[in-house]
Amino acid sequence: MTDITKEALSPPRSFLSQDAIQLFYRLLAVLLICAVLAVLNDSFLSLGNILNVLRQASLTFFIASGLTLVVLTAGLDLSVGANVALSACIAGTVIHTTGSPVLGILTGLACGGIVGLLNGVMVTALRIPSFIATYGMLWVLNGLTYWYMAGETLHGFPPGFRQIGSGYLFGLPIPVYLLLVFLGIGTLFAQRTIWGQEIYAIGANPVAARLSGIPVRRRLLLVYTVSGTMAGLASIIFLSRLNSAEADIGESLTLPAIAAVLIGGTSLFGGVGTVFGTFIGALILTLVLNGMNLLSVSANWQPLVTGIIVIIAVWLDMKTRRRAQ
Amino acid sequence: MNAHANAPGGTSAVPLLQLRGISKEFPGVKALDDVSFALYPGEVHMLLGENGAGKSSLMKVLCGAYKADSGEFFFKGEKVTITSTADAQKLGIAVIFQEFSLVPYLDIAQNIFLGREPKGRIPGTIDRRKILAEAKGLLDAIGFDIDPSVVVNTLGVAQQQMVEIAKAISQNARILVMDEPTAALSDRETELLFALIARLKADGVSIVYISHRMAEVFALGDRITVLRDGRRIDGVKPADVTPDQLVRMMVGRTVDMTYPRNFADKPGEVLLQVKNLTAPSGISDVNIEVRRGEIVGLCGLVGSGRTEVARAIFGADPIASGEIVFDGKPISGEPDVASRRGIALIPESRKSEGLALLRSVGDNLVVSALRKLFPSGLFDPRSGLRTADGLIRQLRIATPSARQTVGLLSGGNQQKVVIGKWLAAGAKLFIFDEPTRGIDVGAKSEIFALIDRLVAEGAAALMISSEQVEICHVCDRAYVMREGRVAGHLARNELTEENIVRLGMHHA
Amino acid sequence: MREAAVVSQPNPLQRIPGVAIVLGALIILFGAIAPGFLTPANLSNVLVQSTILTMLALPMTLIIMTEGLDLSMGAVLTLTSLCVAIVSLATKSMLLGLGAGVLVGAAFGTVNGWLVAILGIPPFVATLGTLGMAQGLSLIVSDAQSVVGIPHSVRDIYSATLLGVPVPILLALVTYVVFHGLLYHTRFGSYVFALGGNREALRYAGLSPNKLLIAVYALGGTMAGIAGLLMTARMNSGHPTAGLGLEFDAIAAVAVGGTSFERGNGWLLGTLLGVIAVGVLRNGLNLVSLPSSVQVASVGVLVIVALFLDGLRSRA
Repeated sequence: MTDITKEALSPPRSFLSQDAIQLFYRLLAVLLICAVLAVLNDSFLSLGNILNVLRQASLTFFIASGLTLVVLTAGLDLSVGANVALSACIAGTVIHTTGSPVLGILTGLACGGIVGLLNGVMVTALRIPSFIATYGMLWVLNGLTYWYMAGETLHGFPPGFRQIGSGYLFGLPIPVYLLLVFLGIGTLFAQRTIWGQEIYAIGANPVAARLSGIPVRRRLLLVYTVSGTMAGLASIIFLSRLNSAEADIGESLTLPAIAAVLIGGTSLFGGVGTVFGTFIGALILTLVLNGMNLLSVSANWQPLVTGIIVIIAVWLDMKTRRRAQ
Repeated sequence: MNAHANAPGGTSAVPLLQLRGISKEFPGVKALDDVSFALYPGEVHMLLGENGAGKSSLMKVLCGAYKADSGEFFFKGEKVTITSTADAQKLGIAVIFQEFSLVPYLDIAQNIFLGREPKGRIPGTIDRRKILAEAKGLLDAIGFDIDPSVVVNTLGVAQQQMVEIAKAISQNARILVMDEPTAALSDRETELLFALIARLKADGVSIVYISHRMAEVFALGDRITVLRDGRRIDGVKPADVTPDQLVRMMVGRTVDMTYPRNFADKPGEVLLQVKNLTAPSGISDVNIEVRRGEIVGLCGLVGSGRTEVARAIFGADPIASGEIVFDGKPISGEPDVASRRGIALIPESRKSEGLALLRSVGDNLVVSALRKLFPSGLFDPRSGLRTADGLIRQLRIATPSARQTVGLLSGGNQQKVVIGKWLAAGAKLFIFDEPTRGIDVGAKSEIFALIDRLVAEGAAALMISSEQVEICHVCDRAYVMREGRVAGHLARNELTEENIVRLGMHHA
Repeated sequence: MREAAVVSQPNPLQRIPGVAIVLGALIILFGAIAPGFLTPANLSNVLVQSTILTMLALPMTLIIMTEGLDLSMGAVLTLTSLCVAIVSLATKSMLLGLGAGVLVGAAFGTVNGWLVAILGIPPFVATLGTLGMAQGLSLIVSDAQSVVGIPHSVRDIYSATLLGVPVPILLALVTYVVFHGLLYHTRFGSYVFALGGNREALRYAGLSPNKLLIAVYALGGTMAGIAGLLMTARMNSGHPTAGLGLEFDAIAAVAVGGTSFERGNGWLLGTLLGVIAVGVLRNGLNLVSLPSSVQVASVGVLVIVALFLDGLRSRA
């Protein structure tokens, strides 16, 4: 029996169906957590709480969606949280001084995008490993933000601007609409553009991608810039929701974003994962944290739980990967 | 010149180590077929053969890295087993690796005694004075005059090799296996190594020496064993043969398949012209020309610069000087430029460089053609799948569907996927680097038929192969490389295995 | 073989310039612009304040030599500092406090090593996860409050002097000597070089790279435990964000000190100088009244520049 016929006899194993199975497990987890929480706590199923969960999940998702693209290329962006803080503070200042929310929003997006571009330059041109380059960037941004704010808090923004983060439309919070929009855009970008396809190819095997004629460096620059811009977008939502900007708002954002990406099934080793998975990941994480909150577990437990979730998610990813190989 | 030309000097001394009837099979390849081999105390035994003749496999069986499927080992006449590197070490067999087993930032003494350091007075510490003294003694014994506290990282290749040898000797090695030890050495360093080998010989150490350089074979060897197709062809003494006779023993591999090839009467216009190409990767002044409708061979020994030429043309490695003209216009830049212009590279290690193993067959087939198939930038998975399905049918890739993970296909089908990816991209020049490595006979023949069809339709191919038979059967002509340069050009009527080996080897 | 002896024997001083120039330049700069920088009291202050960083940067050097990283060190130090505070507060014993801190630190280090060596999780994610865990545990054990009222025996460690030399400086020196001996004069030290330089060589010599790797990370955690005691003594309290970002200063000191992030080339003296350089930078910026935020940002820039230069060197 030649190996060709042997293969034809072996049952087909496609990765698409694998993906579907993985997604199914995650949706099951969402339902399970919801069921448990509904039993344990009456107020879980209240409309207010559900909307709250969705709004929280959307904030994590904005940061995590851009990060998903970075992780798909087998990189990491540890600076997203600090980027949100800097962008929020700068955007806030612009709104305060010019009185124009539009100008503020554009500045916030641009600030996030430039930081992302710088990350990309460090990774591609300077060839510093992404995790250490973006970790350095994290502290540079932290320092800049604290210096810029000098302990001040920006407070009070125009009501129209505050609608973005805290307003409602047809009974749903506006961030939820934004979530749907960017979930759609992200999914389309990743699945239905050739850039998205190339990003998957780069993550799956960067050497083969380069030798297949993909301009790897340019795509990596794009990916880090998008990740930074999404952090800039998140900063606007934060600013609008909190109605204030402080230097420390980014500190607790990075780990949950990474957790959401990893729980969502995006592999740290690149090439596998979806933006939709990250949405589910953000939802699972938010549900867990929300549930802890409802069950009166102190918020102090959140980093511990998030840290454990990150490690378990990576470990599961490595196990499935090893089986696939 | 017969198989019984055994013991040195004609005496019937007991061999230090004897291998009888060793066979080793890998899926699809018989790496060693009933090979017998004897090594006498204090001799240098040259192992000769083409790429893939079984030298490396024999070496790995000898040092316990591979377990032989069948056959027996005798050490000083007594039957022993070698199934692990530990077994081999116990018998005093040590391999001087080409990729060194040294720790770069430790000094020579620490490297020699890694894991066996003399204990100091404070528990856990190393007796610095003793380790240096013992290392010095060892280095003196092999005639290597150097301070043992020098950090290995600062040594040249030759000196690191010396340290490796000292390390082996410190483990009481009586048999040293060296795989092309002079490959990276200068003439001066080579002399030093030869002096050391002479000294080791005098101490009764036996050396198995793999080489591609005729001069070495005759200068150093006490006996020569020639391998071909995993079989032992002959055992001879240097005094009894001429270099030409050795070359003839090495070539003439069995032909186990037919090569489909319709040679064109007249090749088309020039498609690729490489002018005086020099690159930091180790090639200098390379001139190559490929015309439409041609399959041009690029041969030479492994490490002679063939792959480097291919990568430089494709833009995968930077070039220092020279010019590459493709389809009438000069070309430079990264691989994305080359691939847009219509050059395809089918790399040697298809798993690590040619494919994204965890992605589907379909994804891999369209990855180079995305820009061509979807000029708007919008990707349509269904249209991508249709393209992939077409290629699967056209190339007869055995896969349940385009959605199958490509890593689960056989080598031959994986290779077809790599080729298919460039068909989809509409490539005009296909550069193949060892296209049939690890592929079974049936698939090989299909791949050659495919290449033949490609060039018949006006494309061109540059084919690197270590299988001289393949080059001779399918190529219109061939360039032979040696040490980073084109050593010669063989037209269709000159294209014989003997000529390729002669040009590719180091005649001195 | 006379020629063979003429090797390009490296002048060990050749590597000093990088970090020494940085340090020298910083000292000259702040000597010129920062009032009171070059006074003995201030310089002693710089060294005293560098003690904790020394205790983190030296084991970090070993970890980075194995091509690893420990992002959890600062958070673990926070946790051990709290443990020291809480236990010494409850038992009135400095030693029991230290014991608790060391135990917790070693446990975290071992977990890090286990995640990296046995589960094969990339070091930066594994330790990012444990960073979160240590941060969380810090908040939990302290209830996000400072722990105050710790015994004098703890506090005195930081302020005491021996023969006129501040005790922290002596502790830093002892730590350096111990690490120097460990890396350059013990078998374990040789194996640390091999973990980064050539793991195959270890296997070939019959040693277990995984066990050694766990030991290296455990050492890092243990040192974070000891440094936790000093942190508590310095702040005269346990504070749930005491060690925030310290791992970054440690990485900065290692990177500036010339230890490569690849190839297993470590240099402890360089790390020590790197620690002092970071200390001088922070102290000097402080003296010219630039806020701590600028200090953080400049350390970040320092790291990126150092890594870039390291990348250049490894490509050359």
